[in-house]
Amino acid sequence: MRGSGRFLTAGVLLPLFFLLLTVIYTAAAFDIRAQFSGDGEIGPRTIPLLAAVCMYAALLWVIVQELRKPPEDPVADEEAGEGGLLRPLGVTVATAAYILLFAPLGYVISTLLFVAALFAIFQFETRRPLRFVLAAAGVTAVFYGLFAGIFGVRLPGLLGGLL
Amino acid sequence: MDMFLTLSGGFAALLDWTVLAFMISGFLIGTFFGAMPGLTSVLAIALLLPITYSIDVVPALVMCSSIFMAGMYSGSITATTINIPGAPSSMMTAVEGNQLMRKGFGANALGHAALGSMIGGSLGALLLMAFMPVAAEISLLIRTPGKFSLVLFALAVIVIVDKGNIAKGIVATLLGIMLATVGIDVLQPIPRFNFGTETLVEGIDIMPLVIGAFAVSEVLIQAQSWDGGLSRTLAKAKDLKILRRDFIPPLSEIRAIGFLAYIRSAIIGYGIGILPGAGGSMAAFVSYAVARSGSKKPEEYGKGSREGIAAAESANNAMCGGAFVPMLMFGIPGDPTTAIVLGVLVINGLQPGPRLLENQADLLAPMLASLFISALVLIPLTLWLLGPYFVRIVSIPKGLLYSSIAVVALVGSYVATYSVFQMFLALIFGVLAYFMRRQNYSTVSLLLGFILGPDLEQYLRRSLSLNDGNPMVFLTNPDSLFFLGLTAVAVYLILFRRPRRTA
Repeated sequence: MRGSGRFLTAGVLLPLFFLLLTVIYTAAAFDIRAQFSGDGEIGPRTIPLLAAVCMYAALLWVIVQELRKPPEDPVADEEAGEGGLLRPLGVTVATAAYILLFAPLGYVISTLLFVAALFAIFQFETRRPLRFVLAAAGVTAVFYGLFAGIFGVRLPGLLGGLL
Repeated sequence: MDMFLTLSGGFAALLDWTVLAFMISGFLIGTFFGAMPGLTSVLAIALLLPITYSIDVVPALVMCSSIFMAGMYSGSITATTINIPGAPSSMMTAVEGNQLMRKGFGANALGHAALGSMIGGSLGALLLMAFMPVAAEISLLIRTPGKFSLVLFALAVIVIVDKGNIAKGIVATLLGIMLATVGIDVLQPIPRFNFGTETLVEGIDIMPLVIGAFAVSEVLIQAQSWDGGLSRTLAKAKDLKILRRDFIPPLSEIRAIGFLAYIRSAIIGYGIGILPGAGGSMAAFVSYAVARSGSKKPEEYGKGSREGIAAAESANNAMCGGAFVPMLMFGIPGDPTTAIVLGVLVINGLQPGPRLLENQADLLAPMLASLFISALVLIPLTLWLLGPYFVRIVSIPKGLLYSSIAVVALVGSYVATYSVFQMFLALIFGVLAYFMRRQNYSTVSLLLGFILGPDLEQYLRRSLSLNDGNPMVFLTNPDSLFFLGLTAVAVYLILFRRPRRTA
């Protein structure tokens, strides 16, 4: 983990990601043009630029702290590392798919599929298919009742409301 | 006096069956979320936020305050019964309550926790109602440079309160401020950081940020840390026998604690609630430490002290009242719950501040009344009715629970604008918050930076604009100087003062 490996820990990668965001933010801040400016007035780009400068300093502080930290316990690393990331990754992919399918498939089918995917990830009733299906249908129906029934929200129908 | 009468009139609004139903359902939701380890009342209110688009502001606010009060109290349930605090603010209750549970006095410990919460919560709500008119008068005196320094004070305290992670706290707060700059400028009609798209011209709504940072990230965290361990503990706890009659603490025990001890803890909790970033955990801890240092029976602490439970629970519930003061007066939320309540106000077109209290106190009064009734009536009533079944209720399978939370969070983020884009934003913020939480970046600082950022910018620019760009205005203006001094004192007390060593 010495040398370049230390730069690849999550503790350093996240501030590096923030650094990248701040660089894009700074570049965009220079594109802001004030519509008018009076005496002593600071323009609409000043605070963003000030925030960006502070962000660079704070990120530098964080990165130095992370590099000075003693190496983490490899066992704990493994538990919280790649193996542990599979389920959150599964939830993220399922959620992204749900959002993409929400309008075209409508609330009922997309939610049923989403809940089934989450049940599978959280290993809920996976050994009892009937209960699995009933529970997924139950969750879909309960929240349909809550949003559409009680709060009168128009949820998308099948094929974007065509059916 | 008029305002006090209006605030008292909030109790009449609770007689409306719809408002009453929202208060009771909010309390039950808050109890469940507060008692369930891993879930918090903040998450419950975050999930409620989209629903506030579909209901009136009064029931929405009433529901928020009952969730807040219930969530603060119900953390003591699992803290006592299975030694896992349902909420961080119940840490001290877990220390004492579970010891009593092991000695066979679990129901008695739950009774003391409920009594402490009831007294503390009620006193906190009363103090809020009593001092609100005075606070409104004071806040009218603060001018623009003072408001800037006040926001700066709030942000500084929020960052330094987490002493071990100041750099990460600054990063999270700045990230929130930077996100808040997306959209139309606070003083001029020009778009910023929209990257040529129309979707970002209106800026980023608070809702996907709240849903992402508190709900989606929680589902991801739970997905990562998922195991059967807690389920097994809860399954074992199902066999616990708890009888209703044991919930009522004997008068002799209450006398031994002393009514003044409850009042002192409530005042500590209320005072800490007013401070930005402090929250229920600090209120409970400070009150517990004060009670312990002045106790006639210090040897009982750590072995099942009823006095310790009373001090911690009175303080954390009284904190709820205090936390509303800066949010309602200045629009400066001190904790995530009041930050989301601020979101509810803004969604409904209400701007917090003294003018809101002057002109629309009738909308806020039911919320304050709900805070009081939740503490005084619903806490003991819920304990009496549901107490024996509490552990069974929180034994709900996690797979079912988190799948349901994910559906409510995502459909909820769609509800506000009927836009799938908001759902995507919630997911993006959720993934970002997940990585931030894993690396100990505070998502509360992120949210408060997002909420307070526009105020900070607006007050700074206005102050400088009115004073020919002279920054000395912040030192020559008395209220600004006061808040800058307060910031310096807070920084000194939290960061530099060494704790006194006791023999």
